[in-house]
Amino acid sequence: MLNEAWIEPGLNHYLMLSAIIFSLGLLGVLLRKNAIVMLMSIELMLNAVNLTFVAFSKYSGNINGQVMVFFVMTIAAAEAAVGLAIVASIFKRFKEVNIRFFEHLKG
Amino acid sequence: MTTDAFLFWFLALVTFISALGVVVFANPIFSALSLVMTMVTVAALFATLNAFFLAGVQLIVYAGAVMVLFVMVLMLFDLHKEKKAFTQGAFSGSVKLLLGGLLAGLIVGAVSMSKELYKAISDQAVTNSATGIESTKALGQLLFTQYIFSFEVLGILLLVIAIGVVALARSKGGTHVK
Amino acid sequence: MGSDIVEIGINGIKLVLIFLMMVQAVPILVWVERRGSAFIQNRLGPNRVGPLGLLQLLADAVKFLTKEEFVPAKGVPFLYYMAPIFALVPGAVAFSAIPMATPLLIDRFELFGQMWGPYTILFQGYEIGVGVVFVLGISSLATYSILMAGWGSGNKYSLLGALRASAQIISYELALGLSIVGVLLLNGSFNFGEIIAAQQGPLAFTFIGHTVTVPFLPNWGVFYQPIGALLFLTACFAESNRLPFDLAEGEAELVAGFHVEYGGFKMLLFFIGEYGHMIVGSSMFIALFLGGYHFPFPGITPEVLRYYATELGYGPQGVSIFTALILFLSFFVKLALLLWFFIWVRWTLPRFRYDQLMDLGWKTMLPWALANTIITAIVIQISKI
Repeated sequence: MLNEAWIEPGLNHYLMLSAIIFSLGLLGVLLRKNAIVMLMSIELMLNAVNLTFVAFSKYSGNINGQVMVFFVMTIAAAEAAVGLAIVASIFKRFKEVNIRFFEHLKG
Repeated sequence: MTTDAFLFWFLALVTFISALGVVVFANPIFSALSLVMTMVTVAALFATLNAFFLAGVQLIVYAGAVMVLFVMVLMLFDLHKEKKAFTQGAFSGSVKLLLGGLLAGLIVGAVSMSKELYKAISDQAVTNSATGIESTKALGQLLFTQYIFSFEVLGILLLVIAIGVVALARSKGGTHVK
Repeated sequence: MGSDIVEIGINGIKLVLIFLMMVQAVPILVWVERRGSAFIQNRLGPNRVGPLGLLQLLADAVKFLTKEEFVPAKGVPFLYYMAPIFALVPGAVAFSAIPMATPLLIDRFELFGQMWGPYTILFQGYEIGVGVVFVLGISSLATYSILMAGWGSGNKYSLLGALRASAQIISYELALGLSIVGVLLLNGSFNFGEIIAAQQGPLAFTFIGHTVTVPFLPNWGVFYQPIGALLFLTACFAESNRLPFDLAEGEAELVAGFHVEYGGFKMLLFFIGEYGHMIVGSSMFIALFLGGYHFPFPGITPEVLRYYATELGYGPQGVSIFTALILFLSFFVKLALLLWFFIWVRWTLPRFRYDQLMDLGWKTMLPWALANTIITAIVIQISKI
């Protein structure tokens, strides 16, 4: 089972690692109740995607993937800022950041 | 086992454990700190993929700014260990777990089966693999020529978001009510 | 790292030596700080233990090691213990990436009945292609040590101090990062080695087809980027939480900031972390703006030193070691002077108010750094005509 091709890291290894991290992020969003932890799980998923971009960029010799990572990072930072601002306004009202309070956001 | 392989497996292990930590720690502060650890190891993985500039940016932007924001907000809210950190319901919870596991299994299986295809890509890539400084230069040139429009749009987006966040944070009930 | 076991060993020892260099500088700096403050305030300072009070360091170390070990009852023990350790790491890792002299060439030599090939040993921990980005990234991790200490202590003063300190560090990181963009534009590189190599010899540049040479000034970044240098130095003070920016430990408001609950050796580790930041900031300032290890006299270049060493009758190995040691001396003197500057400022300027600090960071330094970047880019384009 553990032959040379499995130990030596290649594109597959990075993709599998990224898939596992992405699934962990997904589970975090599905299972947690704390809105901030859910935001962090989204960051985790974005990181996994970035890892695939960089891995493909290296193994296909095409640097466009790294530009994509650059964009994803910027968007992720922006998303985190907005998410935290919304969470902060929720916290000011309910003194908790449980996801179920978000239904009060409408209107 | 070569140095590359050792480095990859070590980083992969640490990344996996810390990513797991984000999901399972009941205390949000520990979740956030373990996400920081994930960010740092992902930056190191970028470095093993020769994307040194992106590794640095990952450290500065993610670990140095975004996560500090998260940790600061968590500490400011004074959130202690939560007794009910996870959603209720044994059935729905197990379905969610199953879904996540299924997704991971499917992707990993698909990737490991399509080995030959990726091998073809890898062989072709050896011809144009760039080193650290060259790839940074190429990245900059690409960013300011082919992707210049997207880059400008990103700048405007950040401005809009900055204004929006200030507006949200200063809303009713804030510390700056006039 | 290296191709064979000896090279890996040498590199490992070098890393340990650089770390020890940083840690060992701290007691001396503490002594300089106490004596210097006494000198500035017309007092004597510690002068009882040993000649000039130099053995005071040893006495302090013994005192720190024999303090009682405790964890605050409301604290989080894991974070409480990890914070001082993490205070050391970013400084040490970042300091290793800064070159301190030209590389050493080691001839072939025989050891254990085997010939070991010629080595080129860099006078730095490790060479990184994008060194400037790496150092900025690593030192941005220093915030976590402060946040962990503040949270782990379970004390409202330390939490408030930690939040203040981290807000301050993030704010000034922007100005810090933008102030060096001018230098990066001028050199077209992220590599410390290339940036330092470009600063050797007399001040000379080409402006719209004319070559201007100033023979009595060195070709340092500070003459091209005076505003950038000033902003960078100021941001360094803020990043290392030193006076006049040590709002995090304003004792009138917050007792002592994030390390209220720390005592003994853990407190000492925070001290080492703070001085480590000073050392990293100073050596980065030297590398980017003060010509790195090059002499302030434009006539004395590494080539000249190599020529003299050859005249003195050294072989290639001796020449490289001689040159590297003399250049390291130059770097070291610059570092010592800058660290003294840090201490001098601490005992001269009063502390800012918190709103003044934020105003300075966001409304003064950031616009100036942005303007500096734009003007530098425009001038570089014009001068290429």
